[in-house]
Amino acid sequence: MARPGLRKMLDAVPIAVFVVLFLYIGMNSANFLSFATWELVLKQAVPVVVVSLGLATVIIAGGDDVVSGGIDLSVPATAIICAAIVADQVTNQQASIVMALAMALAAAALIGVTNAVLVVRVGMTPLLATLATSVAVVGISRVITESRRIAVGDATVLFVRDGRIAGVPVSIVVTVIIGLAFWHLVHRTKWGMNLQATGGSRDAAEISGIQTRKFVALSFVLAAFAGWLASVFVLARGSGSSPGTEDTLLLEMVLATFLGAAFSPRRVVTVWGAVLGAVLVSALSVGFISIGVNVFWTGCIKGALILLVVASAAAGREQ
Amino acid sequence: MTSVFARYGFLMIIAGFFAFFALYNPVFLTFGNQLNIIEGSSVLLILALGMTLIVAMGGIDLSVGIAFDIGAAFAVVALKEYDVAWPLACLIGVVGGVLVGLLNAFLVVGLKVSPFMATLGTFFIGSSIQRVFTNGGGPISHRQMPQGYRDLAVGEVFGIPTEIIIAAVVLLGYFIFLERSIWGKRIHAIGLQRSAANVAGIRVRQYMFVAFIVASATCAIAGLIGSANIRMFTPLAGFSYLLDAIAAVFIGASMHPKGRPNVIGTLVGVLFLGMVANGLNLMGLNFNVKDALSGLILVGALAFAVGQRRLR
Repeated sequence: MARPGLRKMLDAVPIAVFVVLFLYIGMNSANFLSFATWELVLKQAVPVVVVSLGLATVIIAGGDDVVSGGIDLSVPATAIICAAIVADQVTNQQASIVMALAMALAAAALIGVTNAVLVVRVGMTPLLATLATSVAVVGISRVITESRRIAVGDATVLFVRDGRIAGVPVSIVVTVIIGLAFWHLVHRTKWGMNLQATGGSRDAAEISGIQTRKFVALSFVLAAFAGWLASVFVLARGSGSSPGTEDTLLLEMVLATFLGAAFSPRRVVTVWGAVLGAVLVSALSVGFISIGVNVFWTGCIKGALILLVVASAAAGREQ
Repeated sequence: MTSVFARYGFLMIIAGFFAFFALYNPVFLTFGNQLNIIEGSSVLLILALGMTLIVAMGGIDLSVGIAFDIGAAFAVVALKEYDVAWPLACLIGVVGGVLVGLLNAFLVVGLKVSPFMATLGTFFIGSSIQRVFTNGGGPISHRQMPQGYRDLAVGEVFGIPTEIIIAAVVLLGYFIFLERSIWGKRIHAIGLQRSAANVAGIRVRQYMFVAFIVASATCAIAGLIGSANIRMFTPLAGFSYLLDAIAAVFIGASMHPKGRPNVIGTLVGVLFLGMVANGLNLMGLNFNVKDALSGLILVGALAFAVGQRRLR
């Protein structure tokens, strides 16, 4: 039942959907295609981009079967607790930003190692393990912040929020560097090739002499590291840490990463796909607001969108 | 010794927690408090049973909370705006759950989306619709609800809280269906190996279709009780049960000789979570600390439950 024509059409669905949506928004809102709007889109996308990089790494190492393969739902929680630690240290304990960031990094490392141990040593499915650590981590972050918002006026954080390097916002510059680093590591190094082999087929990789457990474990540590990096942008975007931001971040991260898979030729999760997915999701959020769509509908549109993309990918695979 | 520990290790952990809470606060052991734990676990048990069905079939349902919310919303709106008789309102609520299940079933069986992504999509759409409908998430309260409906949560039959009776009936139904009937055997077969089940002649797609609808309808029943308890529909309230439902199913699965999700195991898992929540409450801890502790206990309990199975 090979119908290459239909297959090609189905392959084009995700991109076509976005092109049509952006054209529609562009026609109804004159400013949508302006430079300033897209700068805002990119700035808004930054935290999601960085956590999605972490999730993509775990999925690449664990395989893209969501239930039995790799997934890390605790990256947003890691970002939130790191933001809480930094905010608490800087604002309430008068610690230096370097010291605060170091403490947050230690916490992130602990979370990453915990996930790795639960998955690789204990043998929990990643979905269950990271869902559970995510809840515990969010709980602990509430103890740190006492469920209150903590404002941060630190110069470094403000620089990430407002600063510009050669006219480009700092957050975007830093994110591009982080993205390139992840892309290089996963897609351009020997280590990355082994990581991809592990996710492609665990057994085949094992037989070829790759220490698959090591790669799976390291992917969780890398994901936690991405969570730590994202915390700086979370702090900058909100000018401090606020409770309850993890849920939106989680949903957008999953949406962006799996949406990204639809843009890769083999329909697999990739680093650059995750970045593109996050930017497109952010562009849609900004776009819908600019044409006056009720904000409460955006979740519905995003949900329908991801289903459309995933369903067309599933149909394409069948052909 | 190792094998005994592997099989009953988690029960020992439960006994350990039980003893600790009992020693810490004597109130924990009283009959009234034990009844509280069981009553407080009823809603979660009903949701977790729906989840058990889907996980036994090899999927996962992230939209149990949506079915819970839609069930509550349909029933409360029917009572408040259309003044229908309360049994009819219950039926309308369950129909709401069936609609959620239909969407999941259509996505998974019809469009071949993986259960995780399909139910995540349903979660997005369902949450958004609730926000639009309530203009951002304001509750719909209905103080003068009929006593019959209110009694779903606060009534008693022969001195036993109605909630417990409803949960027990659903539990029995699920036990007979999933563990003692040919249909249940087929569901488990699909969960173990879908392609083999298909080759063996099981109508896999039909079973999956029906299972998603049954699971969501079950969750809507939990939503009815939830709304009757607080006499209002609170948008997005069901989300808070999601992780506990998943955890209970997996704790239960770890106690099964073959690590399969099963009805009795889910019951034990739900009661464990209910006991920990109750015990931590009685310790009089700060609200935030309590949340963090129960999260840590959850990680520990799940790690233990999964890890001990490997000893076999």
